[in-house]
Amino acid sequence: MTRKKVKLAYITNDSARKATFKKRKKGLLKKVSELSTLCGIKSCAIIYSPYDSQPEVWASEHGIQHVLGLFKNMPEMEQTKKMVNQESFLRQRIAKANEQLKKQQKDNREKEMTEVMFQSLTGKSLHNLTMMDLNDLGWLIDQNLKNIYRRIGQLNKVAQKGEPAAAKTEGMVVGSTNTSTTPSEMNNVQQPHDHHQRTPGFEMNLDTMQRQQWFMDMMNLPQENNMGFGGDEMMLPFGDNSHNALWSNAFFP
Amino acid sequence: MRKSKGRQKIEMVKMPNDSNLQVTFSKRRSGLFKKASELCTLCGAEIGIIVFSPGKKVFSFGHPCVETIIDRFLTRNPPQNSGTLQLIEAHRNASVREHNVQLTQLTSQLEAERKRGEALNRMRKAGQAEHWWEAPIEGLGLQQLEQLKGSLEELKKNVAKQADRLLIQNSNPPQFFGAGNSNHGVIPFDTTIPYDTKNVGFSGHAMPHAYNHGYGRGFF
Repeated sequence: MTRKKVKLAYITNDSARKATFKKRKKGLLKKVSELSTLCGIKSCAIIYSPYDSQPEVWASEHGIQHVLGLFKNMPEMEQTKKMVNQESFLRQRIAKANEQLKKQQKDNREKEMTEVMFQSLTGKSLHNLTMMDLNDLGWLIDQNLKNIYRRIGQLNKVAQKGEPAAAKTEGMVVGSTNTSTTPSEMNNVQQPHDHHQRTPGFEMNLDTMQRQQWFMDMMNLPQENNMGFGGDEMMLPFGDNSHNALWSNAFFP
Repeated sequence: MRKSKGRQKIEMVKMPNDSNLQVTFSKRRSGLFKKASELCTLCGAEIGIIVFSPGKKVFSFGHPCVETIIDRFLTRNPPQNSGTLQLIEAHRNASVREHNVQLTQLTSQLEAERKRGEALNRMRKAGQAEHWWEAPIEGLGLQQLEQLKGSLEELKKNVAKQADRLLIQNSNPPQFFGAGNSNHGVIPFDTTIPYDTKNVGFSGHAMPHAYNHGYGRGFF
């Protein structure tokens, strides 16, 4: 059985058309029959072709007159409610395809702008973006920020619910735990801990972790509940600005 | 990873599960009408199909239309061939042809967009493996969230700034940008400005120094 894509137009080649008609007619009647059997419903099909003056007819149990009779006995409105011809049927399919296309385009646009957002976070220029891109990007950033605020709120709530001793670190639950701050021990992220202090789960390779040992040191300094940091407020153990540069390179090489 | 079992051979008996039956009816009826429509287009057949739903509603498909097919069958009359009827049919067929063309177009567009979606999904997956900030936020720790928050807020500001720049750029004709104007860094076609074009981001701009703070190669 060939699986070439068939163009949706009248087949001009006579023999090809006749062969297609035979095959597809057989397949169509099979499908009607299956539908009737599987769903236990009544149905019929009438097929007129240029090859035969008599139509080919099929009906589920009791014959075609029975089904046609059932149909004609229904009120006209019921008959026509779900009635279609080629034109209306194709229009329905076009409308549906349009809907699916728009949705897919919208999803793709969001995915695309998400990539742009991540690239911009690592320094890619915004110069090539159109006004529309910038608008969409701004919207997307807002959506993400909303979710982040919400999540931070959730984690802080959990932190407050915990015991006082563990309160300040309880919030940072995700990921592996870490018992010490020295560089060598930092590599053993799977070690169980014997006190409450935890560090956030960083899925970073060894190099990055080495570079951030000063950062880990900072984690052990006495802190208030919310351990977030913006660029300027962070308490650097070394206390000088040159480490801003180190920091930015470390996180986003 | 396979999400579903794929096409399975099913037994030709009435389906035991009622909700499956409903779904099957819906899908197969739709497919049936599609096949009938194709047979009409491809081979010039004239077809009538009547199907009663499990809920006792009736669905029908007919080309040229359900009523004429039924009448033709019941009265055993050969189809009339008056000039008017032929003209009507010609119009109808032309319309159907157009619809088919449109449908074919839409279908291939949809296919293309779906492929693009898959490619974007792959990109996202690859990104998530490399960068922690691309992972879903449920998987991030408080520290990371705070950091990401800060960076996004910064990015948001820059997006707004760039948008403003574009507005100005688009509303002012080029000759207004003179040497003394602090915006001259945004002109794409002025090659005499000696800023480092290799440096992505904002650090290459001839902007007041304050704007360079914290930008560097990123927003962190």
